[in-house]
Amino acid sequence: MKSLRYSLAALALIGTTHAAMAADNLEIIVPFAAGGATDIVARSFEPTFSQQLGVTSVVRNVAGASATVGTAEVANSEGNPNIIGYEPAGALSIQPSLKKLPYGPDSFTYICRTVSNPMFLMVSKSSDITSFKQLVEESQDQPFLYGSSGPGTLPHLAMAATVVNSDLKAEHVPYSGSGPAMNALAGNEIQIMADTETILENYDLRPLAVFADHRVEGYDDVPTIEELGLPALDFSVWQGVVAPKGISDERAKQYAEACKATVESDKFKTFADKAKANIAYLGPDDFKAFVQKRFEANKQVLEDAGLTQ
Amino acid sequence: MDVILAAVGDAFTWQALLAIVIGTWAGIIIGGLPGLGSVVGLTIFLPFTFGMDVITSMALLIGVYCGSVYGGSITAILINTPGTPQSAATTFDGYPMTQQGRVDEALGWATFASFFGGVLSCVLLIFCAPQLAKFAVNFGSIEVFALVCLAMLCIVGISRGSLLKGLVCGMMGFFFSMVGSDPITGADRFTFGTYALSSGLDLIPVVVGAFALSEVFVRFSSRDEEATTIPEARLRFPGLRDIGRRLIELVRGSFIGSFVGALPGTGAAAAAFISYAAAQKLSPRRANLGKGEPDGIIASESSNNAVTGSAFIPTLALGIPGDVVTAMMMGAMVIHGITPGVRLMQDQAQTVYALFVVLIIVNVAMLVLSKPSIGLFRYLFKLPLGFVMGGIVMFSFIGAVSVRGNPLDLVVAALTGILAYVLRRGGYPLAPLVIGMVLGPALESSLRRGLLISRGDFLSFFTHSGIATTLFVLIGLFLIWTVTAGVLEWRARAATRRKAASAQPVSE
Repeated sequence: MKSLRYSLAALALIGTTHAAMAADNLEIIVPFAAGGATDIVARSFEPTFSQQLGVTSVVRNVAGASATVGTAEVANSEGNPNIIGYEPAGALSIQPSLKKLPYGPDSFTYICRTVSNPMFLMVSKSSDITSFKQLVEESQDQPFLYGSSGPGTLPHLAMAATVVNSDLKAEHVPYSGSGPAMNALAGNEIQIMADTETILENYDLRPLAVFADHRVEGYDDVPTIEELGLPALDFSVWQGVVAPKGISDERAKQYAEACKATVESDKFKTFADKAKANIAYLGPDDFKAFVQKRFEANKQVLEDAGLTQ
Repeated sequence: MDVILAAVGDAFTWQALLAIVIGTWAGIIIGGLPGLGSVVGLTIFLPFTFGMDVITSMALLIGVYCGSVYGGSITAILINTPGTPQSAATTFDGYPMTQQGRVDEALGWATFASFFGGVLSCVLLIFCAPQLAKFAVNFGSIEVFALVCLAMLCIVGISRGSLLKGLVCGMMGFFFSMVGSDPITGADRFTFGTYALSSGLDLIPVVVGAFALSEVFVRFSSRDEEATTIPEARLRFPGLRDIGRRLIELVRGSFIGSFVGALPGTGAAAAAFISYAAAQKLSPRRANLGKGEPDGIIASESSNNAVTGSAFIPTLALGIPGDVVTAMMMGAMVIHGITPGVRLMQDQAQTVYALFVVLIIVNVAMLVLSKPSIGLFRYLFKLPLGFVMGGIVMFSFIGAVSVRGNPLDLVVAALTGILAYVLRRGGYPLAPLVIGMVLGPALESSLRRGLLISRGDFLSFFTHSGIATTLFVLIGLFLIWTVTAGVLEWRARAATRRKAASAQPVSE
């Protein structure tokens, strides 16, 4: 029993260190595990951002449940001026319509949108399909299968919206990420996938359409969805910074200025270029309106496709 | 040829070599501490790599990765607590050897098998990456389902003692893996309306609870003198003759690890269990497995370290990371402007070859650094047992929470610890619980995805592809073999019992 006392003493000592360490650091929550696509951008964003604010900051990865766990943590920190979230599109504009969450689009102080990449509708280069029209025709006998990086993700929604709004016959097969879905596409387990330029460039893929309101530079011969006779569908993979509600206007302004300066810095631009992240800054008001609009649009898609609870 | 020479030059810079030494050593220590595993190690070191060039940063990360997979075996052998889930199968024979006073031999085999597996998989990676990657692409959902079924069948035999108790724990692990979001529909399952549970139960907190915490509880509640001392950690490498005698075990384990590592969505923990199951069927010394037989350590450690090399096959050849660890490595490459994908081998041949060289140096460094690292653990474990156990509890909780940063994982680890303690007291084996959690998600999602692809027709699974048919035939043969062997054994036992009964009339 003596050893039990020793170990309890050791544990008690360790317990006190945490209290001593808690200082006024800025915590940047990334709702994904370290090393993921969002995390990499967040970690390149963080040094310049904290320099602009003049504080020490720490990136904390809080992963799980389609990024909603980390996002909920930001929402639940109401009034805390030392916590922000580096958020992906899905956690803010899709998940709240999919399941019961402790937050909604109104639970945040919006700071800025940092990057945004339009998604492409793609097939494997080894397939003989070269146009969306041909894809629709060939799907009539035997429906195609489209992959996604998980149920309720942007790739899923983009394709679900396409299927609802066109004659394309295709069914959904979710994977645990873009990587496994690419593996399935390479093995012809699935035939269609919607994802960003990064994916398009890294694998043997052929773009058939782009989910944006105008053609994308560098892909001038890829038509937009609207040009193909569908309603305009706008699906982009974007990221942005949010703070909890209840922080002072002054603090929110500091965040917004620091974010703008970071996104415009050479350091971040060089990184974004390398990582093929398309810088698309939006200020606090524009970002808030944008998220609200995307939230409504995604909700409509989910309802049309019968995916809401 | 020039490219290869240039690549060797890239890998032999002092920065890269220093990174390898630091990374590998830190990896072994991190892997050895229960709760802290490969993912935590990489998370700690990832931010340091931002200021380095690409080869140096990859050298650091590969060092941490390979080191941690090996390091897990040290505590598995010394205190029956795998430092990482990948080394869970090492406890089966490693700890019995320790109890028999053969700790130096056990650590020697674990070290050598790790080195052997690591190097062999590097060689495979260098020469067969494109072919293996092409083969791995053919492993779609239905093929993976067949493979996991086969693996689960083999693994049923792993549980020592009662088959029923093993199955109970296996199903429990399978059930644990189902908590959280449904992989196909995204709906919440078994969360009882609590939002905190919707992210599911992570493997690390469960492993930490099942092995590390329950071990602490067992030791504290035991009045046995043996349970309160930890033997001195020493390392003795096996002699050449011993290696020759067990070469086939080393090669088999390494090949199984290399193969499983190249497939998407499996990983080192699964590879180690599959390899152990294979040794149980094929090793000439299989009767001793589970009682302190080096073959068991070899099976587990050669295969889990072989995964380190082959996990890079899909990552480098296709840009598809096979597991969380390679996904993190891929992230590190992207930061340095190298995007793995189908064109990487052509566009960045020099970098890729330099990575191969780094992988081999890391494995050599691991062999060299094993001795000082084990020395460090020797000093750590000389502390009063209370401090050691307190430290294990602390690191377990740090490891449990740092994977996802979710405080729920602390509760999960503590509750699993209590559950595991009760199970151990009742003679239930814990390995099946971990196996259920490791293979459960793969089994479920591959089956359900397979059904989506075949449009609900399960019978077409059997004829889906050559690979699938072969695997299902193997499953059939395995079942027939097991049942026949069981019946024969039962008959033989019945016959001897009859003989014994007729020779010696019952006295009662």
